[in-house]
Amino acid sequence: MVEDEESEEAAEQDPTSSQIEIIFFKSDTCAFCPRAEEVLFETIGDFDSGMFKVNEINVSENPEAAEEYGVFALPTIMIGGVAVTGIPEPEALLKMILGSRMSQSRGAD
Amino acid sequence: MNEFTIERIKTGIPGLDDLIEGGFPKGDTILVAGKAGTGKSILATQFIYKGATVYDEPGVLVTLEEPPSAIKRNMMRFGMDLKKLEEENMLSLVDLSPARPQPKNLYEYPSFDLSGLEAIIHSHIDRINAKRVVIDTLSILAYKFKSRDILREEFFKICASITKKDTTLLLTSEIPARDTGLGVFDIEAFLASGVIVLYNEKISDTSRSRSIEVLKLRGSKHSSRIHSMRITDEGIRVWPGEISPGS
Ligand SMILES: Nc1ncnc2c1ncn2[C@@H]1O[C@H](COP(=O)(O)OP(=O)(O)OP(=O)(O)O)[C@@H](O)[C@H]1O
Ligand SMILES: [Mg+2]
Repeated sequence: MVEDEESEEAAEQDPTSSQIEIIFFKSDTCAFCPRAEEVLFETIGDFDSGMFKVNEINVSENPEAAEEYGVFALPTIMIGGVAVTGIPEPEALLKMILGSRMSQSRGAD
Repeated sequence: MNEFTIERIKTGIPGLDDLIEGGFPKGDTILVAGKAGTGKSILATQFIYKGATVYDEPGVLVTLEEPPSAIKRNMMRFGMDLKKLEEENMLSLVDLSPARPQPKNLYEYPSFDLSGLEAIIHSHIDRINAKRVVIDTLSILAYKFKSRDILREEFFKICASITKKDTTLLLTSEIPARDTGLGVFDIEAFLASGVIVLYNEKISDTSRSRSIEVLKLRGSKHSSRIHSMRITDEGIRVWPGEISPGS
């Protein structure tokens, strides 16, 4: 397969850059957000805690971030470049985590 | 005449106010519907521009379709300098166009609200103390999200929260080419207390004619005819005395 290229790239990476970044968008008024947050943490709780970097953004306090990312609907969870809107099923999050892992090991897109 | 008079704001479209007893009811939600190329964006942007320059009302223009650079370029042809208004804090142009990076939505579950969009719009309203808001165009959101029931409910909420402090809201919606309704949702009309329809109909093999119809407007004895409208070097103009040849 493409092992040679992969290992070279991995060697150059610092440890935090191999973390998967998760951004959780919520707001003060969003009724579905607390449940979505629970599902998120339950799902990633099965993994090594060092594997993820979770960034929570409250758009009521930080509307600029919602504008910057183009996030209209809440809750929205971004993993890698893709997003899920609404209270996700754990399977959807798992697929996104795996997808992000795959594109990382391929050296991103 | 009436025991309570409705406060109105001038539309900034020459001729239109004459059809609607002087202007849009202040703090109402007005829908401007029409097929592609009928002049919805120009009318909406002119409403904001004239509001800021002639009536001293700051405006927020939320663009979900055209990028701001294109809007500025187009409006400049009518002598309307949006960049200058932005610098004077009389205009906030909110770029939510597809040209901006947006997350790719892989999954959508029917348990969300649009409080993100709401927070974005309100932050701009608050920043310049806007009295007029345009969302151009609502129809885009119908393509972005699948859950129609949620969209419908959330639109109601957003419109209500924007107009709560007497800010007048103008929404545009695109009528699909073969459609007879007022937009992709068929719900836009219910959101609005006023509905205006723009036409650009073929009147012969070689010519088209633009026209405007006020379908409904709260508390107004508006004209029920279809009137001539033109896009001139100074923007959109309505001829209240002229009944459209197409009607
Ligand atoms: N300077 C100008 N003079 C005359 N007509 C113009 C001028 N600039 C644009 N137009 C006309 O205006 C129309 C486009 O207007 P506008 O962008 O407001 O339409 P729209 O209803 O928003 O369309 P869409 O649904 O595609 O967004 C076109 O038909 C174009 O020919
Ligand atoms: Mg348009």
